[in-house]
Amino acid sequence: MGKLIYTIIKASEEPRQLTRVLSGMHGISNAEFLEVSCEGITAVVCDIQKTGMVAGHASAMDYAGVIEKLSKDFTLLPVRFGSIMETDDDIRKMLSGNHLEIKKNLLKVEGKVEFGLKVFCDTEKLKSARNIEPGMKTKSATEAGALHNNSVYLDYVNKKLTEYRLEESVLSYVNSVIEEITDCFAGFEASGKFNKMVSPANIIDALFLIKKEMTAELISVVQDLQTRYSDLNFILTGPWPPYNFVDITIS
Amino acid sequence: MSENKILFSTGNLEGLAEDIGNMTNTESSKLKLQPDNADSGLAKLVLTLVELIRKLVEKQAMRRVDGGSLTEEEIERLGETLMKLELKMEELKQHFNLTDRDLNINLGPLGDLM
Repeated sequence: MGKLIYTIIKASEEPRQLTRVLSGMHGISNAEFLEVSCEGITAVVCDIQKTGMVAGHASAMDYAGVIEKLSKDFTLLPVRFGSIMETDDDIRKMLSGNHLEIKKNLLKVEGKVEFGLKVFCDTEKLKSARNIEPGMKTKSATEAGALHNNSVYLDYVNKKLTEYRLEESVLSYVNSVIEEITDCFAGFEASGKFNKMVSPANIIDALFLIKKEMTAELISVVQDLQTRYSDLNFILTGPWPPYNFVDITIS
Repeated sequence: MSENKILFSTGNLEGLAEDIGNMTNTESSKLKLQPDNADSGLAKLVLTLVELIRKLVEKQAMRRVDGGSLTEEEIERLGETLMKLELKMEELKQHFNLTDRDLNINLGPLGDLM
C-alpha cells in the first residue's frame, strides 16, 4: 500500500473548506481522500495498492478530474500522475524539505489559470504562397543568380536549397505570428510558453498563465487575432490547472 | 473534465482532432525491443539518430550555401556527399523495413523529432 499524491494545495484561511470539498469526492479505485499537511501546505493523497494501479487513460483522466475540480476552489500545484510515497511521514518530509520551492510556485500560480492556444494551418498552402528566391549564390560569383553548370549534384543542392528556404520562410512567418500574439497578450501580464511547428498542421502550440477573471478579455483578443489571420485557425482551450507552469525538482 | 474546454475556435476542429490522434497514436514511433526482434529494434533506434544527424548536417550545409560562402566546386562536392548520404539512408531503411514515419519519434507536446 502507498499514498498516491494528487496535488499540493496552499492551506486555506478556512481549514475545513478542503475537508468539505474532499468529502464528496473519491480517488482512483474509489479510495477516500486524505490530507497531509505541513507548514501551511497540504498534499491531497489517497491510499493505493501499488501493484494494482493501472496507469491507463481512464485512471489518468480520473486523476486530472480531481485536480481540476480542486483547482476551482484552491490555489494548487498539480503533481505528476503516478507520484506515490510510502507513508504520510514521507510526504510530510517531502513537503518540509521542499517548502520554499513549493511556496514560491504557489505564489506564482495564485489566482491564475492556464490556457492553451493552438494555431493550425495548411502548411502546403502557406509554402506555396511564399516567394522564394531561386538559385544559389557562390563565393566566386559577382552577382547572385542560378548556377548553370549541368550537374546532377548541383541540381540536388538546388532542390534542397529551395526546400530549406521554404522552411525558413514559413518559420519566419510563424515567428511573426508569435510576436503578434505576444504583443496582444502583453496587457494580461501573462507568462507564456511557445512551441513551434509541433506537427505539419499545428504551427504554434502556446500556453499562458493568466488571471482567472480575464477569460472574457482573452477570448476577445483571440477573436481579433483570428480576424487578422484568416488563413490560420486559432483554438483557445481552458481554463486548466497550471500543469505547465510548476517548476519544482523534488529533493 | 466534462465541461467544454474549447473557449474559441472557428468551428473547424479537424486539425486539432487529427493532431491529438497523432500524439496519442504513437505505436509506430515506439521502440519495441524484444528478444526476437533485437536487431530491428536496435536498427530503428540507431537509424533514427543517424537520420536526425543527417538532417541537421543537411540544414547546416544549406545555411552555408544560402550564405554564399562556398565556391561552385565546394557546392558540387557537398551535393555529391549529401546525395550519397540520402541514398545510403534509403538503402538502410529498406534493409530494415523501416519508413520515414518509423524514424520520426513523436515527442508528445514538443511535437515530432523531425
